[in-house]
Amino acid sequence: MDKMKKLKLLLANIILAGVLVLGGCADAGDSSQSSSSKETTTQESASSEDQNTNAEDNSDDTSAQADSGNTAGSDTAGKTKAAASKAKTSAVSTSKIPKYSGSPYIKVHNNVPFFKKSDLTKKVFEKYSKLDALGRCRTAYANVCKATMPTEKRGRIGMVKPSGWHTVKYNNVDGKYLYNRCHLIGYQLTAENANESNLMTGTRYLNVDGMLPFENMVADYVKETNNHVLYRVTPIYTDENLLADGVLMEAESVEDKGKGISYCVYVYNVQPGIKIDYETGDSSAKDSRRSGQSSAKGTYIINENTNKFHKPDCRSVKMMKDKNKKTYTGKRSELINSGYEPCKNCNP
Amino acid sequence: MKLIICVDDNNGMMFNRRRQSKDREVRHDILAYTMPERIWMNEYSLEQFETDDTSRIQVANNFLIQADDNDYCFIENGQYLIDESRLDEIVLYHWNRVYPADYYFDIDLHGWTLADQKEFKGFSHDKITREIWTR
Repeated sequence: MDKMKKLKLLLANIILAGVLVLGGCADAGDSSQSSSSKETTTQESASSEDQNTNAEDNSDDTSAQADSGNTAGSDTAGKTKAAASKAKTSAVSTSKIPKYSGSPYIKVHNNVPFFKKSDLTKKVFEKYSKLDALGRCRTAYANVCKATMPTEKRGRIGMVKPSGWHTVKYNNVDGKYLYNRCHLIGYQLTAENANESNLMTGTRYLNVDGMLPFENMVADYVKETNNHVLYRVTPIYTDENLLADGVLMEAESVEDKGKGISYCVYVYNVQPGIKIDYETGDSSAKDSRRSGQSSAKGTYIINENTNKFHKPDCRSVKMMKDKNKKTYTGKRSELINSGYEPCKNCNP
Repeated sequence: MKLIICVDDNNGMMFNRRRQSKDREVRHDILAYTMPERIWMNEYSLEQFETDDTSRIQVANNFLIQADDNDYCFIENGQYLIDESRLDEIVLYHWNRVYPADYYFDIDLHGWTLADQKEFKGFSHDKITREIWTR
């Protein structure tokens, strides 16, 4: 990649980080629309040959700086500089996020989303950022409500190959396939199916253990209350890596000003037991001899109903019905190879 | 004393000081099942009953102390020291979903009897499972 493109990409990443401080990616050029209509912005991938492309791409993110007090509404360069300076003080950057240590996610910013009070409106919208020069998806942002939710089952998405995509299987991965085409904003929230701007290469663990519980919480809240929830997902990349290190997930309920839903978490794009090269998406099974965990013998409690296994002192064991409970002594790796999943709480 | 608690698949109850979920069908079931006894709860929980019949609902921050033996206590948020020796029934509603959680139901039910179990359709949940545990 030539130097100009590298510079533009670096600038785009700084601006993206700045979004996390300043909050939101409201379109400064947004025309007023009735709150009952759905505004969807899904832009085509930018041409890599267009010198102005990155500046246009940046406008998705730079317009998010509106709350910075920058009144240079149409001055992209001015906004870019403001965003860059803000990015230096960002509380969310890959260097400041602790390494993965067993939990699929970590709370960020005291679990308070970066939205501004003025963002909390009933105006329905969906915004999916253009893919960057490397074909990577970026921030997806929506005001989720019943009107945005699907009315039919999800269709095929196999035709989309997000950046870093590989089709690879491992026995110790739930469902075998390491990677899922992960919706940034889940289909159950905005019915965006095969939108390449809403799909990233994510591990099974990120998709099911990390992101899905947070989506479920928002979906069920909206169904129950008919309220709106601001919802934003931002993939975080290191340098020119094709695979995101993780995603920042933010959500806040509108009508009750966050009393119902409010969170700000970083979800790790990892897969326990698998080593991933984030530059390319290549992967390999971790050496069980080095990790010591997979080959170690131990005593575990299996729940034959849920197909999960636990440490004997896990709180879930206390709740287990005797008929479903089975004590197992042996290798952890054999349990996983037999199709049992480790408990997410006790992490056996 | 009897407890009423809602949990997800991992026995989670709350995340970020907020309930994981709510469902009007669960509230209806709670009110029907507990008839004619009193139901104690705090202000946070009372808010979700604002469209229901609240005539049997008693509100207090220290409701676990104030509740009599036949009363029900609906616990959602906050950490309460529960005198388990006073408990003779736990009504557990399962969302049958996985939500994020940082506060869990952790009473050891060994020695308790699953006296009753029923499933019903929620308003915003496909299936709710209610378990009645007794000593």
